[in-house]
Amino acid sequence: MVGGMVGVARVDRAELRRFISEKYTEVAMNPELGFHFHTGRPLANMLGYPGDVTDRLPDANADSFAGTGNPFLFGDLASGERVVDVGCGAGFDTLIAAQQVGSNGRVVAVDMTAEMRAKTVAGASEMGLTQIEVREGYAEALPVDDGWADVIISNGVVNLCPDKRAVFKEMLRVLKPGGRIQIGDILVHKEVPQDAKDDIALWSG
Amino acid sequence: MLLEQTGFVDVVMSNEVDVFSGSKHESDAKEFDTRGVTVLAHKPR
Repeated sequence: MVGGMVGVARVDRAELRRFISEKYTEVAMNPELGFHFHTGRPLANMLGYPGDVTDRLPDANADSFAGTGNPFLFGDLASGERVVDVGCGAGFDTLIAAQQVGSNGRVVAVDMTAEMRAKTVAGASEMGLTQIEVREGYAEALPVDDGWADVIISNGVVNLCPDKRAVFKEMLRVLKPGGRIQIGDILVHKEVPQDAKDDIALWSG
Repeated sequence: MLLEQTGFVDVVMSNEVDVFSGSKHESDAKEFDTRGVTVLAHKPR
């Protein structure tokens, strides 16, 4: 949730991470099952990704896309930029970012779920995008040096983190002065009661 | 807004998109009127 005052949820973070990782392993391995959110190229079309951009991506990466926005809506990334994709998932945005920054740029793709990281690695290899490096990590503790990134992208990830303030502070640490975030996430227009915030089953449902 | 409280500046938000309606399984997101959005924000120089 990117806007408004967000209370801190009283959830067991390890348990929440395990629950979310299991959910997104399913999205990685069996995207055809259907979920409580849209996935794949139909979702990308809803979010304004150009068809000629998504058509170039391998099906394995496109089919498991589960974002909530379009980090490239405000403009393409520039050639040579250094990018961090926080919660890269199956690599949908990672692969697009790598094409935009070109071989002189770098994209560090971070995800906590092994099956998603494996998909991103495979997609980068299939597309010959050697500027991509995939790392294991969490949004609250990114495996990236201070001031390294020109831009951080992320899509549908911050809402899955119980301490959003910690995530945004970590993004500030990783960005260069003047750097930017281009992130897709969600806005919740109705007050979410504390008992719902504390219910792990509702975090990805 | 949390982004500004954390230290980001020049925050710009896209139009909202209903990214949950019509998905295969019912979502609690609908109950809370949840919408997808994209945000651009900068770290101060």
